[in-house]
Amino acid sequence: MRNLWNHLLNYRLRALIKKEFAQTRHDRKLMFSLSVLPVVQLTLVGFALSAAVTNVRLAIVDDCRSPESRELIATLTESKSFRLAGYYSSVDQLGDAVSQGKADAGMVIPYDYARDLLRDRQTTIQFLLNATNANTATISRGYAESMIQRFNVGLRGQGIHVSTQPVAGSNLASRGQVQLEPAFLYNPGLVDSWFIVTGVLGLLLILQSSLICSAAMVREREAGTLEQLLMSPASTSEIIIAKITPLFLLLCLMMFISLGVLKFAFGVPFHGNVLLLLAGGALCILSGISIGTVVSTFSKSAQQAQLTTFFVNPPLSSLSGALNPVEAMPKWLQPLTVLNPIHHFATIARGSTLKGGGFMELWPNFLSLLMITLVLGSLSVWRFRKQLS
Amino acid sequence: MRRIIAQMRKELTQIVRDWRTLALALALPMFLLVLMSSALSLTVNELPIVVQDFDGSSASNDFIDAFRASITLKVVPWPVDKSAEEALASNAGRAVLIIPSHFGRDMARGVNAPVQFLVDASDANTAKLVTAYAGQITTSYNQQGSGTQAGPIQTAIRLWFNPGLASKKFFGPGIFVLGLSMFPPLLAALAMAKEGELKTILQVYVSSIPAHEFLLGKIIAFMIVALAECLIMSLLLFTYFGLSFAGDPTPALIATVLYAFCVSAFGTMVGAVIPNQASALQAVAFGGFILVFLLSGMMFPIQNIPAGLRWISSLVWGRYYIEIVRDALLQGGGWPAVWYKVLIIGAIGALFYGIAWQGMRRMQVKA
Repeated sequence: MRNLWNHLLNYRLRALIKKEFAQTRHDRKLMFSLSVLPVVQLTLVGFALSAAVTNVRLAIVDDCRSPESRELIATLTESKSFRLAGYYSSVDQLGDAVSQGKADAGMVIPYDYARDLLRDRQTTIQFLLNATNANTATISRGYAESMIQRFNVGLRGQGIHVSTQPVAGSNLASRGQVQLEPAFLYNPGLVDSWFIVTGVLGLLLILQSSLICSAAMVREREAGTLEQLLMSPASTSEIIIAKITPLFLLLCLMMFISLGVLKFAFGVPFHGNVLLLLAGGALCILSGISIGTVVSTFSKSAQQAQLTTFFVNPPLSSLSGALNPVEAMPKWLQPLTVLNPIHHFATIARGSTLKGGGFMELWPNFLSLLMITLVLGSLSVWRFRKQLS
Repeated sequence: MRRIIAQMRKELTQIVRDWRTLALALALPMFLLVLMSSALSLTVNELPIVVQDFDGSSASNDFIDAFRASITLKVVPWPVDKSAEEALASNAGRAVLIIPSHFGRDMARGVNAPVQFLVDASDANTAKLVTAYAGQITTSYNQQGSGTQAGPIQTAIRLWFNPGLASKKFFGPGIFVLGLSMFPPLLAALAMAKEGELKTILQVYVSSIPAHEFLLGKIIAFMIVALAECLIMSLLLFTYFGLSFAGDPTPALIATVLYAFCVSAFGTMVGAVIPNQASALQAVAFGGFILVFLLSGMMFPIQNIPAGLRWISSLVWGRYYIEIVRDALLQGGGWPAVWYKVLIIGAIGALFYGIAWQGMRRMQVKA
């Protein structure tokens, strides 16, 4: 073991690492893209990407014009979920408003609404929803239904209608009501940004490390100095390790900065072990670096490498569950997330910050990250040797 | 005019010769369209739900059956002796339904029976969806089961424009616009930056063609690429996505031509201002991808962006085109709904063209 360690840290490797450090340090653009860009992207994404549904614009046709109908309208529009977009005199006008985008939803109260209520009969109000965005439509439908449900309960409580209190005998026959009592764990305030930023952190780590690494590897070939390196007594793995070391340290620095943004700009709670999170991040960076090296061994110029990463990154990021739940993907694509390092890091990040989970819950993700890194890393060493021919 | 056409033909020849990049630029958007539209959706199917039944009575089984019947939720077995939070921590389920031991007794007595529903809220949006679904199931279970009268007010909810709540129909047009805002400007910027890098721009300066005609020729060539891409992708929209024009198609058609102009002008402008291929590529990636992806309402509603950042989105050209395309394919609002958006796209395109013209002049000084 000690022998191996000595071998790894021999003067050749040290000299190579020194050379890479000197090269990277002078790269201003790299420093910029590793310090400023992630902060900007994280804040922009965290604040801009929110699926929250509030202030749905509600247009109203009130054919009843009674205190009862106004009470219903007030209950809906005074909440945070709905906002009054205006009154219309006919259903056609309301339909036009919804299709022209002046309102997101419409409610039609029939003319006999108050009369039916006073006579203790059932009445039906119509609710139109612009369902172009399926997610928003589902959530606002939930809002509308639960609000009217509560309004109904309130109406029953009021003593204005004719009381049809059944006698005790029939009360026994009727079944009780189930009361669903939801409790939101880990994020009781339902802050949208926590989910997004923990996912985007993984996205950033993978995208940046693969991009930077492929650029650094290709640069040597473009300048024609690769042959010189390969001719030197250093072995292939030594060359690769030396190339990776400074990048890895820089990317770790980027991870620290991003975690600071998560903590201080978004207030993500760190319930679990921070060391676990850092270990996951380091593994994630390594797998990103190995993606970059593999891409670089397949491309002849920096432009080709960049175009290839253009090709690899969108599916990698959209099939990761970083921005949306994995269950929302088509069934046949869901198993593919096992191969995606972003998915594993997002699970680790959410598990160890929001949920306060430990290694017991997260070991499968660590194992898969390690496997991905090892497989891609050995692939790149093998390809690196081949590329000279 | 003759000069513009000649310039355009030269540009098209160059594009066609680099057939590998062209094929990539035409095929990649289709690939993205199919992949991302299915991958980006937020609405979920078969969300795993863990049920812990401490009662085991027929009433509790009845209630769980109501959850089993739902398409959006999938009941996952979980041993009673393991704690509910463990199921959430190990990602076995998105929520846990806990039925207490006296559930059946309470139901039979006609007393309200509370049932706990623990939701993993680390994903706030999905948490809201699960709660909404569970609430709907419970409500309908309460209504159908007993003789108790439902509330006096009934709601008849109608979903317009997308009654099946298919996310694909919402994301399809958005990704169509994303592809159109990414690839044609990428090619245009690379071509223009190459002229600066290889100094072939000097030959243009000594020729008789004025700067605005040179730019127009270039832009028209890339407009043709953009329109070809648009044609291929709209075929996909009409077949695979099952979309069709909901109303008057003319605003969308005119906007498409204007948008093709706008994105080609954007690419040419970037190439003229930044005569370096690698940096130009990054600038287009920022403008075409990050801005259109994040700030155009493609995935998440614009109203949710905090006011401090929201004004940026009114400068994002893709935003207006997404709204026009969605209107044409889903809502059918026609000219009264979108006329000013068509004008804005034209204005932004003209602005890019103007900046590119200025950039050309500065390039001349530098070269």
